[in-house]
Amino acid sequence: MTVEVTEVHLLDVASGEPVAAELWHVITEEQLADWEGEWVPELFRAMQRLRRAGVERAHWPQSRHWDWRRKVAALQGMLANPGFSILCDGVTQGMMIVDTVKHRGRVDGQQGQHLVYVEFVENAPWNRAELFDPPRYRGVGSILIRAAVALSADLEFHGRIGLHSLPQANGFYANTCGMTDLGADPDHEGLRYFEMTPEDAQAFIAKGRSK
Amino acid sequence: MKIEISKDWCLRMAQREGDAEIGAGRLAVDPVFDGERIPTDVADEESPNVAFGRFVNLMRRQRGMSLEQLADDADVDMADLVEAESDPYHRPELRTAYQLANYFEVPQAGLMQVAGLAALKDARLFDEGVRFAARSESTAELTPEEGAALEAFVAVLSEQK
Repeated sequence: MTVEVTEVHLLDVASGEPVAAELWHVITEEQLADWEGEWVPELFRAMQRLRRAGVERAHWPQSRHWDWRRKVAALQGMLANPGFSILCDGVTQGMMIVDTVKHRGRVDGQQGQHLVYVEFVENAPWNRAELFDPPRYRGVGSILIRAAVALSADLEFHGRIGLHSLPQANGFYANTCGMTDLGADPDHEGLRYFEMTPEDAQAFIAKGRSK
Repeated sequence: MKIEISKDWCLRMAQREGDAEIGAGRLAVDPVFDGERIPTDVADEESPNVAFGRFVNLMRRQRGMSLEQLADDADVDMADLVEAESDPYHRPELRTAYQLANYFEVPQAGLMQVAGLAALKDARLFDEGVRFAARSESTAELTPEEGAALEAFVAVLSEQK
């Protein structure tokens, strides 16, 4: 299988230096093996630390029960559900699965328009400040969202994307990504729905170009 | 699809992103642990199932843990755990069985079968489960016999893929 790859960079938190990474336009068995062999044990140990530190369960990562193998098996076989992953140091640093067919715009002026819906996106446990202090790499979320925007543009959806954010990530989508917050969605576990309009997408890309 | 993302863009956005959480996706959609229904042809809610509850009970006591400690440590619902240990007709949540398999470091597939949450692929597992339940007694102390029974059953479980 030929894997389409984009060269990207992450920020190594410890050194403050950029490190070369790869954005794969797919999730392969290699990523799932990393999830099972690297992510799950780290996440499990991190949960133990949170528990012992007396952190309330409500503040534990909401995605701690996700099973990427099942997600990929259920979704990525469909042409409408491509996946993306980021590799650095030979290990998967983040994964995302999107849907390109089922969802439509909800923001005023965008209703009914096609968009790329982010079904799932997750960072590797060691890149999450709530679990590791300091985390290893920064920038995984921005690159994956940039990939979703690029796919949207490629499909002539003009950069429109949508997603339901986990509560702890609301700030990232509202502030860093500049997405429009349409509030809690009672049909999706009460998670807040965020949407990026074509204008928001341009602004998001421009953010990384301005100092 | 060609995507070009410059090094400068990555680094500026990494700075802006900082330590933000990025997780997105519906919580309940996880098809394994948060909602998958047991196929009706698999679930047998009429038959008692002593092996799973006894297994959990002995593994917990072997570690000198209370039910509350195990629920906390393995991140499972305490009520489900209590029922699993005490009620042979109780079918634990899929997530409970999965978490316990991880916690006790036994194969998920095997423990799912023992818990009655997946079709038995190996009839020997059922026989061993019955034998294990018969050989172990739920007393306060874990006797050497119970320990031996537990170890033997773990060995059989570990053969399941």
